[in-house]
Amino acid sequence: MVIKSPKDFWAGVMFIAFGAGMAAIALTNYQMGSAVRMGPAYFPTVLGGILAALGLILFMRSLVLKGGKVPAFSFRPLLLILFAVLLFGYTLKPLGLLGATLLLVFVSAYGGHEFKWKEVAILYVALFIFSVVVFVKGLTLPFPICPAPLEDFCRF
Amino acid sequence: MEILSNLALGFGVALSPFNLLMCLVGVLLGTLIGVLPGVGPVATIAMLLPITFNLNPIAALIMLAGIYYGAQYGGSTTAILVNLPGESSSVVTCLDGYQMARQGRAGPALATAALGSFFAGCVATLIVAMFAPPLAEVALKFGPSEYFSLMVLGLVAAVVLAHGSLIKAIAMVILGLMLGLVGTDVNSGVLRFAFGIAELADGIGFVTVAMGMFGLAEIIANLEHKGTREVFTSKVKHLWPTKEDFKRIWAPVLRGTFLGSALGILPGGGALLASFGAYTLEKKVSKNSAEFGKGAIEGVAAPESANNAGAQTSFIPLLTLGIPSNAVMALMIGAMMIQGIAPGPQVMTERPQLFWGMIASMWLGNLMLVVLNLPLIGLWIKLLTVPYRILYPSILVFMCIGVFSLSNNPFDCVLMAAFGLLGYICVKLECEPAPLILGFILGPLMEENLRRAMLLSRGDPLVFFQKPISATFLVVSIILLVIIALPNIRKKREEVFVEET
Amino acid sequence: MRGLRIGQRLAAAALLALATLPAHGQAWPAKPVRVVVPYPPGGPVDISARLLAPKLQEALGQPFVVENKPGAGGNIGADFVAKSAPDGYTIGMGAIATHAINPALMANVPYDPIKDFRHLALVVQVPNVLIVNTELPVKSVPELIAYAKARPGRLDFASGSTGSTGHLAGELFKQMTGTFMVHIPYKGAPAAVADLLAGRVHLMFDNLSSALPNVKSGHVRALAVTTLKRSASLPDLPTLDESGLKGFDMTTWWGLMGPAGMSPDVVQRLSAAILNGMDAPDVKERLRAMGMEGSAVRTPEQFTAFVDAERRLYAKLVKQSGAKPD
Repeated sequence: MVIKSPKDFWAGVMFIAFGAGMAAIALTNYQMGSAVRMGPAYFPTVLGGILAALGLILFMRSLVLKGGKVPAFSFRPLLLILFAVLLFGYTLKPLGLLGATLLLVFVSAYGGHEFKWKEVAILYVALFIFSVVVFVKGLTLPFPICPAPLEDFCRF
Repeated sequence: MEILSNLALGFGVALSPFNLLMCLVGVLLGTLIGVLPGVGPVATIAMLLPITFNLNPIAALIMLAGIYYGAQYGGSTTAILVNLPGESSSVVTCLDGYQMARQGRAGPALATAALGSFFAGCVATLIVAMFAPPLAEVALKFGPSEYFSLMVLGLVAAVVLAHGSLIKAIAMVILGLMLGLVGTDVNSGVLRFAFGIAELADGIGFVTVAMGMFGLAEIIANLEHKGTREVFTSKVKHLWPTKEDFKRIWAPVLRGTFLGSALGILPGGGALLASFGAYTLEKKVSKNSAEFGKGAIEGVAAPESANNAGAQTSFIPLLTLGIPSNAVMALMIGAMMIQGIAPGPQVMTERPQLFWGMIASMWLGNLMLVVLNLPLIGLWIKLLTVPYRILYPSILVFMCIGVFSLSNNPFDCVLMAAFGLLGYICVKLECEPAPLILGFILGPLMEENLRRAMLLSRGDPLVFFQKPISATFLVVSIILLVIIALPNIRKKREEVFVEET
Repeated sequence: MRGLRIGQRLAAAALLALATLPAHGQAWPAKPVRVVVPYPPGGPVDISARLLAPKLQEALGQPFVVENKPGAGGNIGADFVAKSAPDGYTIGMGAIATHAINPALMANVPYDPIKDFRHLALVVQVPNVLIVNTELPVKSVPELIAYAKARPGRLDFASGSTGSTGHLAGELFKQMTGTFMVHIPYKGAPAAVADLLAGRVHLMFDNLSSALPNVKSGHVRALAVTTLKRSASLPDLPTLDESGLKGFDMTTWWGLMGPAGMSPDVVQRLSAAILNGMDAPDVKERLRAMGMEGSAVRTPEQFTAFVDAERRLYAKLVKQSGAKPD
């Protein structure tokens, strides 16, 4: 087996996995019903089947038709950016905007090519102040500004 | 002419200094939240509702409506500048608008969006004023079978959105459809694909998917090229569309306006299709269809006009039937009821001042928006000259805050990150996200209406062909599918040919 | 601790004191109180919370911040309140869905609607009305029953969602009358009303407040109200109880509650402040617009008893009707 078009090959694999996987979950867990009274499994099973079939076509085609290579993944920005987003989500309530924005800005900036401490620090302060003014004060989003133990110092 | 005296009454109300001020406050606020990704008009209007209790009903509704269409304007700005669709209507604007921005043509793109929206807003407001009651009757003609067939047509159209492989585009639509099914099944109440995660019980939010697939994936992809440090070209040619541009956009704006106005009337998800439909239509009829997806100005003009027209005409089912066509309209109903106004056909006869005042204010609000937005273009362009290493952490902060605020739960950030990963993989595999997003929006509607139609017909699939409107949509879908497939098959043959020789 | 220097110890002690200070002493409320709404912003439950928040702030001297925690039909927000510290700084809205229907309908509700909560005050209680399409040749409940009996399985009744009060009221109606009608669930009541107006479905049980405009304009015909008492907004409309369905009594309701274990003093002050806020003329007028016509449930104890009764009613109803998804 020679893969002539890696892009199509992997896209095919992805669609087969999603389609077959979701159809299998639907079939085993939910009721199929009939065309008259469709059960909750009906639509996902049909769609999953079509998706897997399309994946299979791509898969087969990738063995016949020539196509592009999959460009290399750059893991540094990928992992750092996604990690920064998760950090923000889980630290916003305990650490407030003060802490969560700090983590988000520094970690994500570290994922780029250039990282200048001073510049990122200024950016952080500016974004923190802007967020407090616009989101917490202006739009009254119920976000803590400071970490819980310091709450009393952060009433503006 | 009765309509003239009605409009005179409306403008009399809307032009009072206080109402004008409220309209201005509304559109300013709407523009602000539209530009900020994630924080949408729904959350803003909901949080402002208590403040409006102390206003008179007319001023309150004028302000809330201003927020709604102000957010539409603002949302397209973010879509064009940084590829972030905060609303389903601005997904297609990203496709060509962002490409234009990268080529240094953000100015013409933004101006086109503003002018197209203004024109569409004027026409649609006029339509609301003249034909609201008869059009409401049309809206009632749409039942489950009609909506299902309309969704089918929409999905076929989605395939046209893609400019790469047809099979991949169809697969992405279907993947989107399936992702839309996560959550509680409307018909049976069964929880599907939730894997024991309570947060998934109400399904995946549109904003989370769009932010992840477009915004996050784009940032990550931009950061990977070491050599090219700047994403946007520094050579900004001009701020204003050229004569050539104007020549190219007038027809798309007209078509977009009419398509958007028509679809906006349908409360069961018609407006969602407006911008997608307009884009598809342009791509099929335009001489420049090869440019679509690479920065065609028609690809900004048509969907922007369509979604603004749809936003205005979606007031028709609200004002005449009391039926909301989207979450914002549902909030407007809440606002009206709290003011002691029961939305419905009697609003027009019992409270003509409110009805016509609101319509007049829509036109005024659109005028304010265009006056406000055109000078802002220069400022937005400046924003793009900020180094990307400063720009992207800022975008991330706004995205995260917006997504977190959806349900004040870290889980939405997790989901956004997951869709960022999926989006990045799709970039690598040349699978485009726009068809997936449309599938995602339409999936639940489509299943819901299909199953409801089958329940109502007691299992007779022929209903879809027995009802004239539904049958028409299905026939058009089939024709469209053939038109799409034909050149593709021909191309494939040629490809095979090339390989063999 | 021995390793720590004096300065560090002092700092730690100060931090600790700061962290715990507001929760101590008589000084409740010493910091803002969070009001959790288990639904997205803008719905009637959210609006009523936002209406009351300024009144509570006025009465108790600290901001009351509304926070929406939607998800899982309200269960996520309700669970959040149940699991919060009972210090009086977290309260939330609980509704018929989170505290009566979901526990009966769903498999994994992570809280006990009675034991895990301290019920403070019922805020809104709205009757449902039975409305039919005007083309349907029935003018009263007995006529509807006769019409439905002559056409078993031919009539459709719509509802805003599976497991909503509208759905369960329909199931109870079918049960009590021995009729057979097909349930057509929608995504939200407005979509169902649209199909009712167009005549694609025949009847539905809708909230009084949202049905009222269409009833008054004659676009739909109201046959009965689902409470034991007639509604002040439609005094001529009979109740289902009068129309032969003895004891038919269903309302949609929601109210404020905190986690179990709150101090009696805080409970008393909160519930008094809520009731006062509801009686303020401007709030009262707005709650009335949402269909609140006053309720017999006034004290926290009455509210607990009411929630318990509702929970039992729906547990029975869901079981009998087979509405539970499998």
